[in-house]
Amino acid sequence: MVRWQRSLWLFFLPSFGLLALVLLWPLAYAVYLSFFDYYLGAPERTFVGLGNYAGLLGEARLWNSIGTTLIIALGSVGLEFLVGMGLALALYRLGTGARVFSTLLFLPHVVTPVVATLFLKWMLAANWGLVDATLLTFDIEPPDWLGSPFWAKVSVILADAWIFTPLVMMVLYAALQGLDTAQIEAAKIDGASDWRIFRHIIVPALIPAIIFTISVRLMDVFRFFDVIYVLTGGGPGTATETITMYTYQLGFRMLEVGKASALGVITLIVVAALLFTINRTLTRIYRRGDQ
Amino acid sequence: MKLLTGIGAGTLGVLTAMSASTPALSQDAIRIISHRTPALEYYTNAMKEALPEGRVNPELMPIDKELELASITMSSKSDAIDVIYLTDTSLQRFAANGWLEPLDDLWEKYKDEFNLDDFPPSVIESMSYNGHIYSMPILTNTELFYYRKDLFDEAGAKPPATMDDYLADAARFHSARRAGTIMSLKPVDAALNEAHWYINAIGDGWFDKDWRPIFNNEAGVEAITRLKEMSQYAPRGFTAHANDESTINLQQGLATMGLQWFTRAATMDNPEQSRVVGKIDWVAPPGGGARVANDGFAISKFSSGDRDEMFRMMATAASRESMTRGAEFAMPPRLSVLENEELAQKYRWYPAARAALEGGRPFPAMPDFLDVGEIVTRHILRAVTGEAEVKAALDQAASETEKLLASRGYYK
Repeated sequence: MVRWQRSLWLFFLPSFGLLALVLLWPLAYAVYLSFFDYYLGAPERTFVGLGNYAGLLGEARLWNSIGTTLIIALGSVGLEFLVGMGLALALYRLGTGARVFSTLLFLPHVVTPVVATLFLKWMLAANWGLVDATLLTFDIEPPDWLGSPFWAKVSVILADAWIFTPLVMMVLYAALQGLDTAQIEAAKIDGASDWRIFRHIIVPALIPAIIFTISVRLMDVFRFFDVIYVLTGGGPGTATETITMYTYQLGFRMLEVGKASALGVITLIVVAALLFTINRTLTRIYRRGDQ
Repeated sequence: MKLLTGIGAGTLGVLTAMSASTPALSQDAIRIISHRTPALEYYTNAMKEALPEGRVNPELMPIDKELELASITMSSKSDAIDVIYLTDTSLQRFAANGWLEPLDDLWEKYKDEFNLDDFPPSVIESMSYNGHIYSMPILTNTELFYYRKDLFDEAGAKPPATMDDYLADAARFHSARRAGTIMSLKPVDAALNEAHWYINAIGDGWFDKDWRPIFNNEAGVEAITRLKEMSQYAPRGFTAHANDESTINLQQGLATMGLQWFTRAATMDNPEQSRVVGKIDWVAPPGGGARVANDGFAISKFSSGDRDEMFRMMATAASRESMTRGAEFAMPPRLSVLENEELAQKYRWYPAARAALEGGRPFPAMPDFLDVGEIVTRHILRAVTGEAEVKAALDQAASETEKLLASRGYYK
């Protein structure tokens, strides 16, 4: 490195400063608050060390919310991936007209999630909602979409999938554009079936895009808040109370800021661990495929 | 931290989006936030008209959103809100947290001009905390029992007088297209109101004299078991229903009867909103013990507005003349208006409301009751939806409640 290049690190400072201000400082402050018994209505806060963490980890409600988060995360990401992959392949094979269809299919993702969910909420409203009214016209008794613990989870998964499947579809469709068609042609000449072409040529070629999509979506779903907040508010009971909904209840309803901060830190650790595991697993599969 | 920041931003985004349709006003306009009901639309409009055009900017929203927005704003000591609508329960909490401006000096100063002695002492007491007045009383609200008089008459039946009658009637009038009863179990506020009725009418109440939970005793379990039984005759989606949804169900003829606020009564006879004009009648809730509330408007401790101007604005909206006009939407807390016999003749739900007031009960007078409500309604819903047994759910709720109240210094 020549002498003038040694001072280049100074250019790094503005962006680092900005990041520190908007990301690292709030993070550090939340970690700091997590060590206090801090009720927003109380005149003072008391240092409790790891008390908030111990209290939370001993609560059945936390484990229940983690379980619900996992069900909703895996359900929605799984559905988004399967449908997104199907649509991406369909668009890839469609050729002409693919651009028009991809634009139309992308529309749900363009609408703000809160607005899209408000649409869905009124569509799923019992009796007079569009879905219920339509089914009742044909004398079909609809399920209690938002009122039954099972159907509330299903509704949340479907809502998330409706909004985010287009994103998955677009990423995978973009990745398909870089596919080496010569390999597919060669496989066809060798008599490979569509399934074998998909399994042994298309999927391995898409692995980097798949890793990216699943990681980003899982990270998003673990921070999933707006859709549940609008659609079910975490209910009925605790049926759709995810870890972020629980954090929100603690922080903004009960005003227990110390405990809410501790739960935020726990969430961060859980998400980081999960992403690390998934990334490692998928990368290992990818490398094994290379060999 | 990223997650909390995200949640905060998301919440604020949702709350801000709700008020996005409000036109921009001058910077020093008095900002009022309020729950949205026909009565509160009337009173916030009365406050708007009390001052020159553009001085007042009212924003109306569902009560849970209003309280969240107020909690976030006031806990950060922001002056973004000047005047806030509060129920007697939320007033206790906000006053205990030091977020409200005491009004004693202004009350004394304007007592004669606005005839403030016309408010009964019990109402002023419910607007007070630790001996200080914090809120201008706007309405006395009570829950009534709404029922379809035409259907009951047709069946030769009388409205239910006991909870047993209510269950039998709900079963009798229930059909695929018209639910036997409305039921509002959306957490926290709506579900808490519904549970409050059962806990008082069948159970022994919420707490003993030392604030120890008794809602999980034998009578409490029976009360919530009855609520669960009753839910089989409620419209689909009742766990996500609050007052708006239940009102629509009654107005559209999709439900036969049930508990709903006095403030919704007038809308049953509004031909633009209702298909059951003249068909609904009201009685006091069977078994008694439904919620009675005194609501009002308070001034934020952090408001940078003129206290005198804001107080006069609230007092004008709460004047005798204003309340006589507003009696259509809510029961006015002024004695001179309440004793007006013309109102009882003009508004046919007033006799039922007076009877309901006699048998009704307010929420327990503790600043933390809404937090208790968050815990209890969550577990009651677990029981109603079959996630847990009633007894186990209530025991869990009682245990969490005791833990919370201990941490807030109730058992020293």
